[in-house]
Amino acid sequence: MKELYLYREMLRNLVAKELRARYKGSVLGFFWTFLNPLLMLVVYSLVFSFVMRAQMQNYAMFLFVGLLPWNYLANSLIQGTASLVHNASLVKKIYFPREVLPLSVVLANLVNYLLSLLILIPALLIFKVHLTAALAAFPLVLLVQTLLVIPLTLLVSVATVYFRDLEHIMGILTMAWFFLTPVIYPSEIIPPELKPLFNLNPAAPIIEAYQAVFFYGRWPDWASLGWLALGGSFFLVLGFRLFDRFQRRVAEEI
Amino acid sequence: MSTAAIEVKNLWKKFRIYYDRALTLKERLLFWGRQRYEDFWALKNINLTVPHGVTVGLVGRNGSGKSTLLKIISRILYPTKGEVRVNGRMSTLLELGAGFHPDFTGRENIFLNASILGLTRREIKERLDEIIAFAELGDFIDNPVRNYSSGMYMRLGFAVAVHVDPDILLIDEVLAVGDLAFQEKCLRRIRELQQRGKTIVLVTHAPKQVEDLCDMAVWLDKGEIRMQGEAREVARAYADWLAAQPS
Repeated sequence: MKELYLYREMLRNLVAKELRARYKGSVLGFFWTFLNPLLMLVVYSLVFSFVMRAQMQNYAMFLFVGLLPWNYLANSLIQGTASLVHNASLVKKIYFPREVLPLSVVLANLVNYLLSLLILIPALLIFKVHLTAALAAFPLVLLVQTLLVIPLTLLVSVATVYFRDLEHIMGILTMAWFFLTPVIYPSEIIPPELKPLFNLNPAAPIIEAYQAVFFYGRWPDWASLGWLALGGSFFLVLGFRLFDRFQRRVAEEI
Repeated sequence: MSTAAIEVKNLWKKFRIYYDRALTLKERLLFWGRQRYEDFWALKNINLTVPHGVTVGLVGRNGSGKSTLLKIISRILYPTKGEVRVNGRMSTLLELGAGFHPDFTGRENIFLNASILGLTRREIKERLDEIIAFAELGDFIDNPVRNYSSGMYMRLGFAVAVHVDPDILLIDEVLAVGDLAFQEKCLRRIRELQQRGKTIVLVTHAPKQVEDLCDMAVWLDKGEIRMQGEAREVARAYADWLAAQPS
């Protein structure tokens, strides 16, 4: 951990590179960071108000509130699987704490998510979603989510070195996870007999917490958030330990 | 300082040579438990102590394990058995310009590359002018590096690496790049680092370079130390042995 601090400048630069290089050469450049969620919002609200008319009031907003943090999770995982393998030339030639590569993916997606809030908040106001004091819980929800995203991304990045197929399976796995998580539907519609099964999904209470804070204007479910924070902290330590164990042979296996 | 800059004790390194590099899940399941690789000992029982301020040359033929040793000292590879202890800040020159981003300008890449080598933002800013001057890129410094010639690319890479200002510098045959004038400049820079008391480990094929630059030398053959000692002695013995080999 101390060593990671010494390499903070590398982490910072990689995050900046990730954010800037993505749109480098495009006409609108960094503006795409905002344009992407905006266009997504336009498409969803058109589809769900004119084509597939949702029963739920303000459904597009409900969807948007859950989808943005989901993308933070899913994109971290998907880009994370490739983060060591695609930087083979770097890993083989220079020593640096390998954690920096997957961590830079998580941080870049975190920054992207935070920037998309600049679209989300005005959109919520325009669509007359009532924002309340519950917004104060948002940083905590984000922290708990990040406690899970970091070790998950660390583990998939190092596992991909030994099982290359993971890179291809990851897209499908995250898609399955997406449909098992109440992002596009409210958790109330889950049949009660399946409810215990859905409760095993750590992403569900997180997404529900976002929906509570942004969409329903309620405080999140503190109990489940507390348990997740505890479990997430253990998982974080475990993730770093396992990563350290498995990264030793990364340079020769890559 | 009493402790050595680099201490290598009973170091062994095993590689797995795969018959076929396709590591797919299907094959893993199908061939579970069956050995699909052979063990290959790249380094066998290496013991080496490098005192502070000394330049060591590692010589040997291709595949003798000298690059592997350098990578283990630099912590890119992990030893199978044994121990490596390093005292001081270390920088490795394995490949010039590793980690450059083609779309970024030379200046942006200096920041990126130097931070990968472990410098903080302040340290990079302090050295920026010196690095730019050393690389001799002129106005090209603000062009994307994908427009650079290979020589310019190398120059920038070398300029960044030698300005990390490490206590210990590990160099792997990168001195053979660039034109003669630039090679001269690199050698001058290495002599300058030597005078400032830096510890240098240099991997090379050329016995002459060992005689010119090094104080000590280690001759590796098939993963074992065949000879180590005073640079000129080892370099001559190695040169004689090379000449006697049927080519």
